[in-house]
Amino acid sequence: MQFRLEKRREPSRVVLYSAPLIAVLLTMFFGAIIFSAIGYDGVGAVREIFLTPITNSLKWQDLAVKASPLIIIGVGLSIAYRANVWNIGAEGQYIMGGLAATWVALLTHGMGGFWILPAMMVAGFLGGAAYAAIPAFFKTRLNVNEILTSLMLTYASVQLIYYLVRAPWKDPMGMGFPQTRRFASEALLPNIVPGTIVHAGVPIAIIVALVAWFVMSRSVFGYQVKVVGSAPHAARYGGFSENKTIWLALLLSGALAGFAGALEVSGPFQRMVPGFPTNYGFTAIIVAFLGRLNPLGVIFAGIIMAITFVGGEVAQTTIGLPSSASGIFQSMMLFFLLAGDILVRYRLKRVAPQGEARA
Amino acid sequence: MPNRLELSGITKQFPGVLANDNVSFAVKPGEIHALLGENGAGKSTLVKMIYGIMQPDAGEIRWNGEPVVVPNPKAARKFGIGMVFQHFSLFEALTVLENIALGMDAKVPSRELEARIREVMATYGLALDPHRTVATLSVGERQRIEIVRALLLNPQLLIMDEPTSVLTPQEVEQLFTVLRKLAAEGCSILYISHKLHEIKALCDVATILRGGKLVDTCDPKQETSRSMAEKMIGSGLKDIVKPEGRSFGTPKLVVNRLSTLSTGHFDIPVRNVSFTVRAGEILGIAGVAGNGQNALLDALSGEVRSDDRDAISIDGLGIGGMDTTERRRHGLCAVPEERNGHAAVGDFSLSDNSVLTARDRLGMVVMGLINSGAARTYTGRVIADFAVKALGPASTAGSLSGGNLQKYIMGREILQKPSVLVVSQPTWGVDAGAAAAIHQALVDLAAAGSAIVVISQDLDELRALADTLAVINMGELSAARPVKDFSVEEIGLLMGGVHGEAAA
Amino acid sequence: MSTELLIAIIITVVGASTPILIAALGELVVEKSGVLNLGVEGMMLVGAITAFVVTFTTGNHYLAIVCAAGAGVAASMIFGFLTLSLSANQTATGLALTIFGTGFSALAGQGYSARPVTLLGPLFPAELATHPVWRVLFGYSALVYFSLIMVVVVWFFLKRTRAGLILRAVGENDLSAHSIGYSVIGVRYAAVAFGGAMAGIAGACFPLLLTPQWAERMTAGRGWIAVALVVFASWKPFRLLAGAYLFGLVMTMELYAKAGGGPLSSIPSELWAAMPYLATIVVLVLISIRRDASSNAPACLGRPFLPSN
Repeated sequence: MQFRLEKRREPSRVVLYSAPLIAVLLTMFFGAIIFSAIGYDGVGAVREIFLTPITNSLKWQDLAVKASPLIIIGVGLSIAYRANVWNIGAEGQYIMGGLAATWVALLTHGMGGFWILPAMMVAGFLGGAAYAAIPAFFKTRLNVNEILTSLMLTYASVQLIYYLVRAPWKDPMGMGFPQTRRFASEALLPNIVPGTIVHAGVPIAIIVALVAWFVMSRSVFGYQVKVVGSAPHAARYGGFSENKTIWLALLLSGALAGFAGALEVSGPFQRMVPGFPTNYGFTAIIVAFLGRLNPLGVIFAGIIMAITFVGGEVAQTTIGLPSSASGIFQSMMLFFLLAGDILVRYRLKRVAPQGEARA
Repeated sequence: MPNRLELSGITKQFPGVLANDNVSFAVKPGEIHALLGENGAGKSTLVKMIYGIMQPDAGEIRWNGEPVVVPNPKAARKFGIGMVFQHFSLFEALTVLENIALGMDAKVPSRELEARIREVMATYGLALDPHRTVATLSVGERQRIEIVRALLLNPQLLIMDEPTSVLTPQEVEQLFTVLRKLAAEGCSILYISHKLHEIKALCDVATILRGGKLVDTCDPKQETSRSMAEKMIGSGLKDIVKPEGRSFGTPKLVVNRLSTLSTGHFDIPVRNVSFTVRAGEILGIAGVAGNGQNALLDALSGEVRSDDRDAISIDGLGIGGMDTTERRRHGLCAVPEERNGHAAVGDFSLSDNSVLTARDRLGMVVMGLINSGAARTYTGRVIADFAVKALGPASTAGSLSGGNLQKYIMGREILQKPSVLVVSQPTWGVDAGAAAAIHQALVDLAAAGSAIVVISQDLDELRALADTLAVINMGELSAARPVKDFSVEEIGLLMGGVHGEAAA
Repeated sequence: MSTELLIAIIITVVGASTPILIAALGELVVEKSGVLNLGVEGMMLVGAITAFVVTFTTGNHYLAIVCAAGAGVAASMIFGFLTLSLSANQTATGLALTIFGTGFSALAGQGYSARPVTLLGPLFPAELATHPVWRVLFGYSALVYFSLIMVVVVWFFLKRTRAGLILRAVGENDLSAHSIGYSVIGVRYAAVAFGGAMAGIAGACFPLLLTPQWAERMTAGRGWIAVALVVFASWKPFRLLAGAYLFGLVMTMELYAKAGGGPLSSIPSELWAAMPYLATIVVLVLISIRRDASSNAPACLGRPFLPSN
């Protein structure tokens, strides 16, 4: 028996929206097999990574805290990718947002005032946007590939953290550790559920996603992004500027990544440390795809990714699975998702073997 | 002597379409055999099976009397079947020599290959420098590469798929000379076309297909163009109804010394183009592809803006500096040649495609938000008025056939009642019925007082549709004159670049 | 500057450049066939950990290189299957491959960190490299000579062989190549596999040529620099050679700036560490200012191919 791909008349919505779920299930299935094959407790690994964070209510606050930056960055990336703008430097923009917020926090240290935290958020926004403006400038002016520029800037920004926390921003009371001082209480993100680590960033992430969904699905701006992304020539014919869209896509995705950085540094971290880059910016790429470049989907994808992070930590302590295992699971999910994409436009058709056809 | 090629009962089924239904005919040695039919009649599918690109579901192919199976193009070439495609399979960045080498099945040292190429070119009077990069060649020269490539294999049957659609009348004549010489040497030629006068001039036998079925095999020299056309199209031809004794109103679209900058190697810019279209007038712009038509359309639609505000004006208002959106607000709509990806977004629903160009003229945007209900209603009207075969406004543009998508696009612009409409290749690849409907809609729009510019390579279309005609060549536009004052020969000379009163 | 220092500089530059050159040569062939594989960094990491583990367990460097190449091919086939057989988005799949390679190498390298191996020694007998000048010519390991030979091989293959012509044709116009009767997918699979093998070997350079141990993410973005270099070299092998050595120079500049003393030595080491990445951006910008450079790009680069019938 042979199979053949046959083009569908219309792309299948069923496949489009069920593919992420199927990708997750396939990842659990094959993940169990692969990890068993290399000598770990494969079934246990899948259980701890994918199920424990959901079933154990103590882990929910971790999920919320891990998911919110992923969602915020993922929303921005989903908009950029819709515009066919491949910003893969969100990690760098996240770092710059965090650094900008840190800068405000250090500068205002000792001054009281309710305005400090908002100022840090704005700084994070601007810091991320400014860093994303570099690839935007080169892309629109000289057609320099934004994938490479945004990624190279990420590597550079990591070095910038190292430099700042080692020299000018180093905490004088830090006993030689390369880190800044702990932020003053005015510069810390408030907890919204007493007794947990759930901070204000969690509801903000949901609001960001909802607003982005509304804008993308209903507004002319969302329309513009989608036209430029799927048919730039048609966009020009329709009166939309490709360059303007590239700028907006990069600035917006950079700003959101920077905003997430500001939230993280003022929330969970409370200071700038060399370990601040936690790969949220890269994982958010998977989040954007798994969420089908749709802000509502990004909420769910962000939670799924957070599950693998939290679950990865659980598995590390309970069954001794290395922390890198979650990276494998995450990339497997993306592989399965991308593999399944062909079935959105094509269907598998059974064909009789050659020869019988011409009876 | 057996027939060179004989087809009996060839049938090919595609999902939802019977592309070839029990087709049988024969080609004799040295015969120039026309395969005639509308777009979608099944000509391409048929020759793809002869050339081994596709396999028939049923039927038999005989080659020099022997039943054969042609599993792939390589096998076809081995039999001695050569093919020149309508869309050239050339590699822009490679040289002529490299391109030809790629088409050879046997490995030939490049020096020997070059010698053989030069020999073939000398024999058939085809001039070409083997070391030039294809990107620098004209369309006619590119076709010569394909012909040389096919001739190097000493074919016994040469398939030519719509070879003249991109040539000037003079280049067509040169091509015919080559083909006649080949036929005289015993090579059979299967000539695919829907241009009746060419077939009458060139071919010994014509096989006519309609809707996948063979309608007739006849001697084109004994037929009239009209009788062949009726066989090809079926139910009698419908003529365009033009209101008699029309008078044109005031100048609506005035183009004054419009020039564009060079954008890339796909099309050449236009230089100092001037013309006027009055209310109710249809101006036809003829020309061979790649002579500045795309640049002209982009400049008129606003996709490329002009530095000179007054290079283009509507009702006396200079719009040269405006973008497409502003120009649409001022009543100028345009339809580019490329449908999918330029005039429409294949991934989007028809409803969303309506938002692309009609959002401002028809109030589909309120405070930055899209009123999708309005878009759906308008799309429904376009589908109904232009008989677009689609499931509804939610169908994606990419799911429509080329002809239906073109009907939708033309409908989308025409129903906006633009005061100026610029269209390129309005009926390219559209079946005869749909073409007639589109022509009628354009004539009706003009009758209602709009000024229309039709850019086309199809002279028959322009002669039927346009009131006045101008010819574009190398980015320059000839003076526009009433269409009835032109002879075909004169248009041909202008298309080939012979300008001025000497030609007139 | 003393001859000794100059020679030391040349030798470090050549060493630092070699992995980038090898990876970029592979990517160049892949891109010439019309495929953009952004998974170079991931494949390099897979190659690096494979080479490390094989060297650690067997002590055989050449076996390690062969295994690294094989591991690179295996990783590239994930990409090939998704993008070629299933026509998945090449950019996204390449990124996924890099994420996968990072995770895989970290997992496989668990427990190997801070365990030393020996570097691959010079190819030629030490007697040939006694004099400093001879050392510049004969003092390197086999990987370095391999990279140089491959520059010529890739150039010759693309320019002078029929297979190379077919590969370029596939990258230039896949539909035409298909209609003439060439297997577009087959050619691209072969190219992707070659790119995988080269990336694997490039990864092997890290534990065998540069630092004799395993560290997570030890390729540190060199795979991405290799991708950028292909653009910089406008898809020409000899320009790639020049570009890779230029980068080797940038990457090792800190060493001799520090050694040389003077104002350069006061530049913070973080800035030196960031230099290759910033230089990549500068180089991409400079090459883009020359408009014609991108016109040499394969016309089908990154476009999925699915024959219609």
